[in-house]
Amino acid sequence: MKRIVNHPMEEAGGRKYWRSLGQLGDTPEYRGWLEREFPQGASELSGGEVSRRAFLRLMGASSALAGLSLAACRRPEKHLVAFTRGVEWSIPGKALFYATSMPTRKGHTPLIAQTHDGRPTKIEGNPLHAVSGGATGLFEQASILDLYDPDRAREFKHAGKVATAEAFEKAIDAIVGKAGDGAGLAFLLEDSASPTRERLRGLIASKFPKAMWAVYEPLGNTAAAEAAKAAFGAEVLVRPDFSKADVVLSLDCDFLGIDSQTDQARAYAKRRSVDGGNKMNRLYVVENRFTVTGGMADHRLRAQASQVGAVALQLAGEIARLTGDVALNSIVNAAPKTGTQFPADWIKECAADLAGKKGASLVLVGERQRPAVQALGYAINAALGNLGKTLSGAKPFNKPAATIVELAKALGDKAVKTLVIVGSNPAYNAPADIDFAAKAKNAETVVRLGDDEDETAPLATWHAPMAHYLEAWGDGRAADGSYLSVQPMILPLFGGWSEIDLLAKFAALPKPKGAELVQETFTKLSGTKDVATDWPKFLYYGFLTGSAAGAAPLTLNADAVAKLAAEKLSLPAPDAESFEVVLVSDASVDDGRYANNGWVQEFPDPVSKLTWDNAAWISPKSAKKLGLENGDVIEVSVSGAKIEIPVLIVPGSADNSLTIALGYGRTAAGRVGSVAATTERYVFGDDVLSGGFNAYPLATSAEPYIRIGAKVRSVGRSYLLAVTQEHGSLEGRGGDLVREGTLKQYTENPKFSEKFGMDAHIPENRSLYAHPPLNDIHQWGMTVDLNACTGCGVCMVACQAENNIPIVGKRQVIDGREMHWIRADRYFASGPNADGKYDQDMDEPEMVSQPMMCQHCENAPCETVCPVNATVHSEDGLNVMAYNRCIGTRYCANNCPFKVRRFNFFDYNERQLTELRKWNLISDRGMEDTLKMSKNPNVTVRMRGVMEKCTFCVQRVQEAKIATKANGRDSANVRIPADSFTSACAQVCPTGAIVFGDIANPESAVAKIRTGPRAYELLKYLNLSTRVLYLTRLRNPNPRMPGAETAAAYSQPKHHGPHGADAKKGGAH
Amino acid sequence: MADGAVSLECPKELQRVPLVGNERKFPWITQTVSEIVEGRTPIWWWVFFLPLAALALVGLLCIGYQISNGVGVWGENHPNGWAWDITNFVFWIGIGHAGTLISAILFLTRQKWRTSINRASEAMTLFAVMCAAIFPGIHVGRVWMAWFLAPIPNANAIWPNFRSPLLWDVFAVSTYFTVSVLFWYTGLVPDLATLRDRAKSRVTQFIYGILALGWRGSNRHWRHYEMAYLILAGLSTPLVLSVHSIVSFDFATSIVPGWHTTIFPPYFVAGAIFGGFAMVLTILLPARIVYPKLDDLITRNHVDKMAKIILLTGSIVGYAYLMELFIAWYGVNPYERAAFWNRAFGWYGWTYFAMMFCNVISPQIFWSKRMRNNYVVVFIVCQFVNCGMWFERFVIIVTSLAQDFLPSSWGHYSPSWVEIWTFAGTFGIFLSLFLLFMRFLPMIAMSEVKIVVPEADPHHKPGAAH
Repeated sequence: MKRIVNHPMEEAGGRKYWRSLGQLGDTPEYRGWLEREFPQGASELSGGEVSRRAFLRLMGASSALAGLSLAACRRPEKHLVAFTRGVEWSIPGKALFYATSMPTRKGHTPLIAQTHDGRPTKIEGNPLHAVSGGATGLFEQASILDLYDPDRAREFKHAGKVATAEAFEKAIDAIVGKAGDGAGLAFLLEDSASPTRERLRGLIASKFPKAMWAVYEPLGNTAAAEAAKAAFGAEVLVRPDFSKADVVLSLDCDFLGIDSQTDQARAYAKRRSVDGGNKMNRLYVVENRFTVTGGMADHRLRAQASQVGAVALQLAGEIARLTGDVALNSIVNAAPKTGTQFPADWIKECAADLAGKKGASLVLVGERQRPAVQALGYAINAALGNLGKTLSGAKPFNKPAATIVELAKALGDKAVKTLVIVGSNPAYNAPADIDFAAKAKNAETVVRLGDDEDETAPLATWHAPMAHYLEAWGDGRAADGSYLSVQPMILPLFGGWSEIDLLAKFAALPKPKGAELVQETFTKLSGTKDVATDWPKFLYYGFLTGSAAGAAPLTLNADAVAKLAAEKLSLPAPDAESFEVVLVSDASVDDGRYANNGWVQEFPDPVSKLTWDNAAWISPKSAKKLGLENGDVIEVSVSGAKIEIPVLIVPGSADNSLTIALGYGRTAAGRVGSVAATTERYVFGDDVLSGGFNAYPLATSAEPYIRIGAKVRSVGRSYLLAVTQEHGSLEGRGGDLVREGTLKQYTENPKFSEKFGMDAHIPENRSLYAHPPLNDIHQWGMTVDLNACTGCGVCMVACQAENNIPIVGKRQVIDGREMHWIRADRYFASGPNADGKYDQDMDEPEMVSQPMMCQHCENAPCETVCPVNATVHSEDGLNVMAYNRCIGTRYCANNCPFKVRRFNFFDYNERQLTELRKWNLISDRGMEDTLKMSKNPNVTVRMRGVMEKCTFCVQRVQEAKIATKANGRDSANVRIPADSFTSACAQVCPTGAIVFGDIANPESAVAKIRTGPRAYELLKYLNLSTRVLYLTRLRNPNPRMPGAETAAAYSQPKHHGPHGADAKKGGAH
Repeated sequence: MADGAVSLECPKELQRVPLVGNERKFPWITQTVSEIVEGRTPIWWWVFFLPLAALALVGLLCIGYQISNGVGVWGENHPNGWAWDITNFVFWIGIGHAGTLISAILFLTRQKWRTSINRASEAMTLFAVMCAAIFPGIHVGRVWMAWFLAPIPNANAIWPNFRSPLLWDVFAVSTYFTVSVLFWYTGLVPDLATLRDRAKSRVTQFIYGILALGWRGSNRHWRHYEMAYLILAGLSTPLVLSVHSIVSFDFATSIVPGWHTTIFPPYFVAGAIFGGFAMVLTILLPARIVYPKLDDLITRNHVDKMAKIILLTGSIVGYAYLMELFIAWYGVNPYERAAFWNRAFGWYGWTYFAMMFCNVISPQIFWSKRMRNNYVVVFIVCQFVNCGMWFERFVIIVTSLAQDFLPSSWGHYSPSWVEIWTFAGTFGIFLSLFLLFMRFLPMIAMSEVKIVVPEADPHHKPGAAH
């Protein structure tokens, strides 16, 4: 539908008015110019069928370009192209929300995707679904950036050369036509919870009975499956129920961190609360390095990961004795004796506590432990009567598939002619001992459907771009087994295919289109008679009501566990010279699949605060022994496999234990994630490498996570590590910053922490200035419950996505210029030991986390010092930034006691991170087109030289105000209903630690929490009147446990009691 | 002469040291000062000027590079929002204090020895303030928006924030610069007329003629001149004290431990005079070497007096340092205590001790007259003072910011090459401008010096012939 553009006809006989000589002469050039009325690319719209994608791409690009580039001295003129016809549902400027879900290797997460003009811009959890409850994890938040990653696979390629989708389709058809009974055909996929995929697998299996179907997850839960099968005699998924657990023991299970599920973290936090009559639970953790779970522990025991089985065994013996459980006793007796003994009183008291809560306790063993240890854990739970109470079973989502080891063997035997790799990246992450990449060359044809042209791509004869989950139809199951939809928010940006599209092609379905495939599965699964009604409803809510799997009974097969324990629980005692190597999934990049995502790369690890790299965590004592400092590179060798990696000293690590996150050292991840990607070139000095170190070579198929007997030697080099928090000690300032006490103190006096720190000394504060009144009917405020906050840091990335916060690159992080508006401060703290001295080596510190963002002080120190009035107070109590007014003196940041203001030292949004330092005139400026599309249109993209900081999501505040006014029409009631919206950080918080709302509205949650006994202001002596209040954290130590008296002791007033009225009661100086 | 036995003559040791040596007469003074300007450009001048001008250019290029890219080319970060930029600003603005102090306060207090050094030190003041003004100008993130600082009514009706000490700085420094320029120029007028009258070429005569504003030396001119000079001296005097007080408010009114200190205003003013005199000596002592005739104008006596002022102000500064420490301890506020502990024993402890040595210990050598009269010693001590005063500002700014309230946000700072060369560049600018000043303007106030020689006071002196 080419548009013919004509200038309006002149009235005959009238005077002729003309705009240019061209028009007067009616030259062909002028006619052409008229057609190109919107010269900058918009005429592409007029050629043939306008794809929604092309249109949206233009929309995003033009709006983002407007007024940004420095093409000439005057403001460049760009055109916004409006919809020529109204699009159903679309109100310009209004976001649309769709329910969908994101596939992860642990099942799908139910989500709500926010779209602006057809561009998904922000992910929220689906509040209607129990697994999400409105919250998400880190990867869901960051997945928006994955969608717009400019480094994604963009082309269909045949033998490395660009081909067309049609040619690819033909090639697949040819393969299918020649495949016969499927002999020589093999599939390698990632784990998935998609019923449609499983259905297609059945169709493919019936068409090609001899085809091989292999599933590989480098960080999969095969050990857990094996343990469950041994312990319960069947394939079963075991899920803990924290809501019923009064005492929890975690044996190397980071159930609040890398092994977390949103609903479990929330259930745990709910039992952690002291509000609403809840009885606070107690957590014991045994682990080899600090995890966020260990940070939340009431009692923590440092033990090598390889010795966790020995702890479990010692504990099992104790519990068998206490409960008189015969089965457990027989298992303990069957197991080989261990050489090591752990503190007997610790184990004894822990066991007594667990045994005292039969049926309301919970013992969790980490997925990375051997099956024998995990099965022993189940036996302990059985002895404690927890099966069916705090632990329940569910049917697994999928039938068992072949493993990558079997596939590699078939490839090695040349039994595979055609290998179809969907998503998986085995060339990078397959266990080192099977040498997958070399064996894959035996296949004649390798078809790969991949997000990126990564390490596996060179193996592929055919490489096809894979559609992101926001671009494709699909379905999946949540962790609780309920059935979720996946719907596309945008057409595939690079024409990618989804997993089920490709599999449907192999199943030779007549209509291989995503929507129909899913609809068919839905019809079968739901058994609906009325698809026309139920299908839209399914999509609308994002899940099928009542589809959650029921709890299956669990019965322990004690003999099988005893047999497993006897055979596989042998634990050599550690020796002082060798190290164990613990390979864990990374909090940022998981198994490496998110490596090219800048948000997660710059996301500081919740414990080590390391960005852009991984490192070998080592205890202070072991580091001292080897003479290592942070960043010193070591060579780790385990039975022939060697890697080099820098060390990072992390307090609370077990001695002789190295913890290394997998997922780094990618060579073909893209510009962000690959090693050797220089994040910034310096005029003098070396380039700074990022991307970390690949630890997969240390993993074998038999021992994928914990290797013992590693030799460590320093190679005499050092490597720059970008850590966002230089200093981890509280310097005795806990009383003003992170208040903590015990449950006992709280029960005795709920306001026990009111006069901690400087608050014990200060007189009444007075302000020098008369402030303008805060007289709006809304007054915004926030509370952060330190008792619920685990320090996971998802709030940081949610904020980044919501507020268009740029990443700055590794070099800039080293220079201390990261831009996060909210950060999770992590402190290691220790109370005095029995001798009154502090633990200098930080062997057994406590870990506390504190989310830190703009406190929106009513007496804001930043406001008085800004010379140009760029940061001022609004009537509703926000400390607002006028970016346009800011000239960037940085005085406000200097005067901010919380150092939450962030300055744009470079043009992070408009320059490539490798080209931050260039003369303006010669450097390329501007954002990648796809990245422009990811921005939230309601938030300004800041230029260099201005200060920015948390706004309390002012765009959401304004949107709510407008909506309330619009709904209220002529009524005088313009008060936003209590808790009808919230900030991005509060919305995403899995444990509900952050609460945002209107403190002037007594109905709102935040107003109620603020008046609670635990609420306190940070640095109150400065008279800031902060609008963010923190709630004192509580620990619930077991009074009989050794060391219980020093729990949470660091923030307590040390020298004397409070002044003033309380002084009489005995706080004598 | 009376033939009485009692001589009214003072004993020799009690006689005032003459302000101009060797009983020089008016023509000698005019000739000596004017010939510096009128003579051919000496080789040494080029030898110094060309590298210094190149250095100035490097500084300007660094500034251009920084403005093109962003403040990120410096080493500043979170939490160190300010570092060398404001250190350099306070350093230079402090140096700019000696000139006006010499011209205004010493003028009002009838310290006649000021006449031989006031012109050069006022020029130095102006150049130092120019160098100082560069830093607040370029340290902002968006230089092109710096005009927001000006209180001009605009379409949005947004005024600058009058509560902000940075805005006070803008007013204080611009006022100071303006008044200093006027004061300096007013003093120059009679001397410019002298140069005009001595000019041999039409061009120089014309230029000096324009600059001399038609000065003819009439009584009426002198009357107006002296009135104006007195008024400007009166205006400048409070400025000398206020500018650095206001600069100190940048820190004192903030809440950062280590900045939030009421002692800052007097301590900063004393420090500024201290550093300013050191810089005056740093420039004038070499000038006496290249122009040996100036020995009779800038005498041992002058150097001695300036050394005494350095000793006095250095001791005041030392007192302030100790008082800060005492109050930090006495105040019991753990944050204040930590800030001062970190100053001395924290990450940048060595700068604190460098400052202590340079500013407090090294000037104590001036208790000895022999040392005050030893030009080499004086010059070396002045260099210590220059360094020490720079360190003082660095210590105040960086150690306080690097480790403030929340240990989580503590962060190291180290300068980048751009900062280092920008600072070096300001020395290039400062010294190039001073060399140009020496070449083109009389560096000693001829008319004023003439007033303090005996020839200007042809009256009866006890013991002298009628």
